[in-house]
Amino acid sequence: MKVDKTDTLRTKTSHRVVWITLLVFLIAPHIISTPLMTEIMIFGLFALGFNLLLGQTGILSFGHAAYFGLGCYGCGMSIRYFGLSVWGGLVFSMVLGTLLAAIVGALAIKKRGVYFAMISMAVAQMFYFMALSPFKKWTGGEDGLKFIPKLSLSFPFQVDLQSPFPLYYFVYAIMGVSILCIWRILNSPFGRLLQAIRENEQRTIASGYNVTMAKFISLLFSGLFSALAGGLFCVYLGYGPLSALFWLTSGTILMMTILGGMHTFIGPVVGVAVFLYAQNKLSWVLREWELVVGILFMTLILIFPEGIVGTIKSKYAARKAAVQEVGEAD
Amino acid sequence: MTYLETKNLCKYFGGLKAVDQVNFQVEEGQLKSIIGPNGAGKTTLFNLLSGLYSPTDGKIYFRGKEITNKRMNQISQIGITKTFQITHIFPRLTVFENVRISAQSRKTSFNFWRKADSLDDINERTMKILEMFQLAASNDRVASTLSHGEKKYLEIGIALATGPQLLLLDEPTAGMSPAETILATELIRNLRDKLKLTIILVEHDMSVVMKISDEVVCLNEGRVLACGSPDEISCNEEVQRVYLGGRKEC
Repeated sequence: MKVDKTDTLRTKTSHRVVWITLLVFLIAPHIISTPLMTEIMIFGLFALGFNLLLGQTGILSFGHAAYFGLGCYGCGMSIRYFGLSVWGGLVFSMVLGTLLAAIVGALAIKKRGVYFAMISMAVAQMFYFMALSPFKKWTGGEDGLKFIPKLSLSFPFQVDLQSPFPLYYFVYAIMGVSILCIWRILNSPFGRLLQAIRENEQRTIASGYNVTMAKFISLLFSGLFSALAGGLFCVYLGYGPLSALFWLTSGTILMMTILGGMHTFIGPVVGVAVFLYAQNKLSWVLREWELVVGILFMTLILIFPEGIVGTIKSKYAARKAAVQEVGEAD
Repeated sequence: MTYLETKNLCKYFGGLKAVDQVNFQVEEGQLKSIIGPNGAGKTTLFNLLSGLYSPTDGKIYFRGKEITNKRMNQISQIGITKTFQITHIFPRLTVFENVRISAQSRKTSFNFWRKADSLDDINERTMKILEMFQLAASNDRVASTLSHGEKKYLEIGIALATGPQLLLLDEPTAGMSPAETILATELIRNLRDKLKLTIILVEHDMSVVMKISDEVVCLNEGRVLACGSPDEISCNEEVQRVYLGGRKEC
């Protein structure tokens, strides 16, 4: 029997989106500033990880700074104190992120809506204050984590991560693999289950799924990729800023994701790109960038109620449907 | 063979006895309807059978095994699936995906790598069900754009996709047009006659109930008021008094 044609069609477009994104990121640093593009990739990965939970499973976490920051500090501290390689540091951050997700999940995954958001935010704030003062000796307090040895790769080949281009393509490789993994997860039976939970939890349970377990695993994946992004952020900066753990980071990633379109695959990355690009350009012109960001955000959301990618997609679908109808009427 | 049996089943919400000492059996292959005035405990009874609520007291048996305190997803895996009184579908997914995801529940749920669209047997099963409900032509539409009646069919399709042995339908024809109701009645009858499903139906439309039921139970204030064939029930004076309204010569 033939597989439903539009369904495969949709999967294909989504697949194409992944390759186009990778292609854009391959060329972009030659056109736009390389550090900016590096940052966009890192936050793009963070947003994709965050959106696994928000857009795909329908769970709002208001404490994703915890995973990002933990990944950032975990990577930096393991390199500085345990003498791990960059690869080791990144693996360490992923393990930490997944562990934290498991703890938060065990405590709170059964809580709904705003309760889960608040618990996750409380956890994130706890990490922030722990890094700020009790563990100041190791974390560097408000100065952030410094004195990380100069970063370079010796495996699979010698790469100096101090210069922008090699660093960019190192981040690119990791983000590329991650994006493909996330895409694959979202199109697996498990990924479809997450969508169903987002759409109607009761119906999903009534169809025989263990929804709590699915949400828990979704949180684990989200924590893993967010922490990996955090680890990359540390590699990119060469130190661990305290702001990575601050609640504002949780808010910003939420804003970027909604801006790009949380019900689409690539929307979060687009949101990140628009946000960071605007921030970068406008803060040259205007010193009070924060003043503009609110207005900009409101304007964009008014124009793109489903996020940039989401709105374009549904406009396109509506037009296609209209053309089809006219065609059928003829 | 007794398929489903409840023994002294009770559900109290504070002081309210929503379901009170209900004893009730369903035989294999039977289509049994539950009727009764609003607040009689029909939906609560359904929620107990499907595992959404756990009972205050009493026991539930399915094919001789006790299933009293199982959760809804476990009950579904055992072979009892329900539809909801207020239509529960996956609004932003396609009609095809609505049914496919439900069919998938019997095969795999925690596979993170395989492509969901490549599960051919699941796709095939999905198309069969969509054809049965005359939804095959709309398979690529987003489910929220369907008409009310179509959504109701779709939900029965979603429930059916799990391959249940016992189907619980909560007011499947509520809000349907007369034409849709006739089609739905026919469909439900086919589920019993052709697919050999055992069905429990909660329904307010007496014409549907009387036409297709093998047996009817009337609940009132959480208790079983009467139980019998459709003719017996429509002639029962008690039932006429509390629910059917007015007298009918028998």
